[in-house]
Amino acid sequence: MARVAREMVEKTGINVDQLVELLVKNAAAELTTYYYYTILRCNLIGLDGETIKEIAEVARIEDRNHFEALVPRIYELGGSLPKDMKAFHDISGCPPAYLPAKIETVEDILKVLVEAERCAVRQYTYICNLTAGKDHRTYDLALSILHEEIEHESWFSESLGEGPSGHFMRRGETSPFVSKFLK
Amino acid sequence: MKRFTCAELRYYDGKEGRPAYVAFGGKVYDLSSSFLWRGGRHQALHSAGEDLTEALREAPHGAELLERFPVVGELVEE
Repeated sequence: MARVAREMVEKTGINVDQLVELLVKNAAAELTTYYYYTILRCNLIGLDGETIKEIAEVARIEDRNHFEALVPRIYELGGSLPKDMKAFHDISGCPPAYLPAKIETVEDILKVLVEAERCAVRQYTYICNLTAGKDHRTYDLALSILHEEIEHESWFSESLGEGPSGHFMRRGETSPFVSKFLK
Repeated sequence: MKRFTCAELRYYDGKEGRPAYVAFGGKVYDLSSSFLWRGGRHQALHSAGEDLTEALREAPHGAELLERFPVVGELVEE
């Protein structure tokens, strides 16, 4: 634990135990999403599916990066990850992104993908609101993740025909916002 | 439709097999089937058995997510 770093956050009035619990829930959401997206990506097949597969893969890798970036902050603040992977899964801050039972079109998978991203956007917006002007390091981390989650939502939303978002698929390295926490 | 006072609503806290009910805008919703309300807790911040009308104003989502769940009653004065 980074004792003084935690004390500084406590002094702002933030309930640090509650914040840590939120960070653990989001770390669980990221890692489980990485797993479930693996299955979704495998099922993006055919001409339509192949057009989405690469984008889903980028979102999958970036979600794993989000997990990696969150873990140090959890431990700095005195938290830890559950020792039981099943327990970790079940406390996720977002519902499991299960492969639909019946897949008729690529849209069925896209709807799962966009819902998962929308949950993440809500989660990190909340953490940003909670930490803004108080816990600068968690805020910076949550904001960096939020930037990427909003882009993921935009990609899938556009593919569902919900309208243009002004975004383009990732060029260059993955996690352009979060990579500074991974070095 | 069943009528709940705040005191009655508190019983439905989602713990030890009890249903997870929350009130919003005078309606009582059954969130027992929600992944995000397992054990009667939600996002480390909220508990079942409570009126979340005020809390939802601060939440990063609106009432539309609650509306996916069945309404089981209405909240009335004590």
